[in-house]
Amino acid sequence: MHPVLQHLIDTDFSDLQGSSVEGQFAVTDELVNLGLHELVSQLTKPASSTSTAPAAPAGDKTTVLPDTKLLLRKVKFEQLRYRTEAGRTVLEIKAGM
Amino acid sequence: MPTFSNSAVAAAFADPGGSFAGTDLRITLPLTRALLNEVLAARPGGTPVSELYLDPEAGNKFRVHLAAAAPIIGRVARRITLVPGPAVSFPEQPWLQFAITDGLKFLDRPLINLVQTLVESRLPRGVDINSSLIRIHVPALLTHLGYQQFVPLLHRVHLTSEANRLLLNLHLLAQPQQV
Repeated sequence: MHPVLQHLIDTDFSDLQGSSVEGQFAVTDELVNLGLHELVSQLTKPASSTSTAPAAPAGDKTTVLPDTKLLLRKVKFEQLRYRTEAGRTVLEIKAGM
Repeated sequence: MPTFSNSAVAAAFADPGGSFAGTDLRITLPLTRALLNEVLAARPGGTPVSELYLDPEAGNKFRVHLAAAAPIIGRVARRITLVPGPAVSFPEQPWLQFAITDGLKFLDRPLINLVQTLVESRLPRGVDINSSLIRIHVPALLTHLGYQQFVPLLHRVHLTSEANRLLLNLHLLAQPQQV
């Protein structure tokens, strides 16, 4: 794990106190559909390839993320509102730590 | 730029401005002294810089403790005071600036040259250092890192200093295209 990420976990994310995000996050229909397509292809994959979890190859550079619950527990959501408008999905958000 | 096997994620990275059109987010991210120094401690080894610490102070200034092995003159250690400059906005004001208000003298030319050479060997053009100013061309840096397509989303980036932490204020804006 990256030392900075390790530090954040060790200190219970206290360094992130005071973080906030406010506004709206929008995703186009096109991207949602791509995601759906991806989801379907994952779900309909032959069982043989999903039943045996492939071992991560040596020197794999993908970052292993810690349990996101650890972080989300610290987040206080003041507003979280889902809505749609023509061509996109919008998530209105106001949250802080 | 990282590559993704997930086509949706790949599409989002290829065209974030289009994929996230309508997004308007203001993010405040405090960077505490402890966190900043963890980041600095994780820097790549094998450079002449032997010590590098940040010390954010109240009143929008922070100190950098720097020790490096410079050619001919040997080890130099300096404590430099930096004052963050105005907000970065794209495309009008692409420079993230820090005024050096204290700690460097005219005689420190070798040190400045050393740092500049280091920076140039690792980063693209766009990082300027002289005895009174450090400035970073944010779009050039992001382009170098492979995130050029995210530049138009940076509506405003503002870094300020307060006691024990730097505050990063980000305004991400993706205007929906007029149809």
